[in-house]
Amino acid sequence: MRVLKQLPIWAWVIVVLGLLVALFFIPGGHKATFDVSGEFVLHPIVKLPKLGPLDLSITKAVIYEWITVGFVCLFAALIHRGLTTRPGRFQTIMESLYELAHDGIAGAVMKGQGAVTWFPYIGGAFFFVLMCNLVGLIPLPFGTDHQLAFYAATGNINVTITLAVFTFVFTHYAGVRQKGPVGYFRSWVIPAPPFLKQFIFLSDVISQVFRLVSLSVRLFANMLAGHFILAVFFAMVLVFQSYLIGVVLQVGSVAVFLFEIFIAAIQAFIFAILSAVYIGSALEEEH
Amino acid sequence: MDVSAATIAAAATTEQGLRLLGAGLAAGLGVVGPGVGMGLLFGSSIESIARQPELRGEIRLNMFIGIGIIEALALYALVVALILLFVVK
Repeated sequence: MRVLKQLPIWAWVIVVLGLLVALFFIPGGHKATFDVSGEFVLHPIVKLPKLGPLDLSITKAVIYEWITVGFVCLFAALIHRGLTTRPGRFQTIMESLYELAHDGIAGAVMKGQGAVTWFPYIGGAFFFVLMCNLVGLIPLPFGTDHQLAFYAATGNINVTITLAVFTFVFTHYAGVRQKGPVGYFRSWVIPAPPFLKQFIFLSDVISQVFRLVSLSVRLFANMLAGHFILAVFFAMVLVFQSYLIGVVLQVGSVAVFLFEIFIAAIQAFIFAILSAVYIGSALEEEH
Repeated sequence: MDVSAATIAAAATTEQGLRLLGAGLAAGLGVVGPGVGMGLLFGSSIESIARQPELRGEIRLNMFIGIGIIEALALYALVVALILLFVVK
């Protein structure tokens, strides 16, 4: 051991380079092709009858969502049972997450009573999206041919658009509840010269609808792109069939994986904070 | 007969090649604008944190909101590229 510690740094460089060259000369298997997009096709695992246009079959997206809901409920029950004044590691993590959702997201964007009224939705969306993104990084055997596959339920446009519709509906419900139906829609009209007024009203309506698109597509495309990159990194080992490239790609995929954990947390934060901003803008007194 | 079959095959590959080219251009050029925007956003928020470190929390909050909005633009380009690759036939 002492000999190893005394080796100068250039010796380590030579050893590592020698190992890499040695890996280069080990022959790999046959080259294989891999279609990354096949990972994101949903095959029904349990086939159920169609209800009109709705396909009720259970796919891996549905199973990932159930797992997410299970985790959220489990964590909530655990933290509820074991609350102490001397917090352990688990309670500290949960308390800081709750504080982030309560003070960092809802309390920072909305003021006063609005934050209290709408925190359950904002916090619920934050924890659900966060857990969905994180559970999506665990490979589970729901792929085709029973191989392990990554799949985030939030990497599916149907899931994210449902979440965005919730925010959209709650935004207008909050506005109508605060100001009454007439007062709320009148608050979209601002005092301005005649033609400018209609134009601004129209662009406001368009932007309200476009929030639905941007909120859903942002989360969906982020998670989809992240899983594409992960799948490409893992599949390149199959394509190149070389031990040298395999080692290099393993290091790369670990780095990408860690980055994806960061992205998962950031996206949950952004979804929650934009929901809070939209609901808060409907509650505002003046336009 | 043989000639027309070859023409059809050539047309199909050209079409596919153009689709791939369009997808690549959509993703690549679509990232340019959000990249510039994100650089401006980060630059000015770091500058303002350096000037007023006591407002760090508030500036960071607004920075994340801005990131979310800018990032969506790049992702629209990505979605267009994916539609061109996998949906349009």
